Amino acid sequence: MECAFDKTMLTFYLDDQLTAEERTEVEAHLAGCASCRQELATSRHLRTLMEKMPAPEPSAGTLTRFNAMLDAFKAAEPAYAQPDLVQPAQAQRPAPGLIARLKQLFAIHPGFAMAYSLLLVVVGVALGRWFNGPASAAAPSGERKQLEELTAQVSDMRDMMMKSLLQNPSASERIRGVSFTSELTTVKPDVIDALLVTLNNDPNVNVRLMTLEALTHYASYPAVRAGLVESISGQESPLVQAALADVMLKLQEKNAIRPFKKLLQQKDLNSLVRIKIETAIARLS
Amino acid sequence: MLKVRSGDLDKMALLFQRHHRPLFGFLFHMTRHREASEDLLQNVFYRMLRSRHTFTGEGEFKTWMYSIARNVVKDHMKKSRRDPDSYDAGELAERISASTRTDEMLEHRLEIKALQRALNTLSPESREVLVLSRFQDLRYEEIAGVLDISVGAVKVRVHRAINQLRELYTETEQNKPKHGR
Repeated sequence: MECAFDKTMLTFYLDDQLTAEERTEVEAHLAGCASCRQELATSRHLRTLMEKMPAPEPSAGTLTRFNAMLDAFKAAEPAYAQPDLVQPAQAQRPAPGLIARLKQLFAIHPGFAMAYSLLLVVVGVALGRWFNGPASAAAPSGERKQLEELTAQVSDMRDMMMKSLLQNPSASERIRGVSFTSELTTVKPDVIDALLVTLNNDPNVNVRLMTLEALTHYASYPAVRAGLVESISGQESPLVQAALADVMLKLQEKNAIRPFKKLLQQKDLNSLVRIKIETAIARLS
Repeated sequence: MLKVRSGDLDKMALLFQRHHRPLFGFLFHMTRHREASEDLLQNVFYRMLRSRHTFTGEGEFKTWMYSIARNVVKDHMKKSRRDPDSYDAGELAERISASTRTDEMLEHRLEIKALQRALNTLSPESREVLVLSRFQDLRYEEIAGVLDISVGAVKVRVHRAINQLRELYTETEQNKPKHGR
């Protein structure tokens, strides 16, 4: 049911870029065309979603940094003859207050610098002893042992819960299981296996994407890297393929080149993914 | 900005206050990297100060600002070629663990996430035009000024970008947990 109506008009209609006449024309067409209505509805939904997307906020230090930069720029202004020589990195540094004065002092007498660092070390050690000493000495060894056992038990329980969540028929439960792993400090081989199985076999794209993200955090484990590389040839969704290309590039995983090349031989590969994989291969090799 | 140009550099602080948030949004959407965006933000304002003479006052300030920001992003991409549009892993981890775990929230988060994915998969050219028109609320005429192309070309690009985005997005949408496994 493809209709011949000029689809660009729909975009401009949504963007409020049409003249009154064109608007009525579009509205008249929409009244009689279900497929265009559907398309408009999806675009509109995307639009509201984009509006709801959390706006990224710069950190609190931004203004301070800007002011420092501006001050530095103004200070450099009299010697403005060759403004291009002022490097941004220098200009962005915070105002030369205490640090600059310390630097001057140290430049005059290098001994000061040494004395200063020695003092810092002594203060640090003293503080460390003062905080840690009494506590660890006071805890009887029995209690400590119990604590260790408890910690081990809790972490075992977490592993188990995560694995059973991964088997849940509901996709949101499975995602919950995946996000559980971000709270684990160490991952056991069987947890990695469970995640890899999910990455390769889960019917839901979102679950697979989340799993990929979770696994990326443990890329220092050789088993994870090998598993990710192996997974490339099995993924059919363009989004997962693109995400894998990103991850492999990030990890600089050269072993991924071969499966990627194989993927490129598929005729029905998404064109955007194709470009992404080609650039990934080019940068990896 | 004209005042800045004629030497009143303090007026730049005013411009910073007014524009740094949306500008940061633009940089973040283009780089997907928080720390880099913070650096680039300062860089854009530094460049505006340095090249304040090129602001003629004929075009709008916003247009001028975004074209500088675009160049800064381009330079940044060139420099970090090894790791160009890889997403910020820390950023994502933060989002996962900070989640409120009710199903409705999860659903909403998944939708946003799918959208984010789709956005990331777009080519930089398409992403740029979408970010400018949707997140920065620039008019087509303004975008045309920033990109230095005709308004007609902007329209075509926006339309193409939206189509690509919709295609990518619908792919995950069909896999939403609501509709089964």
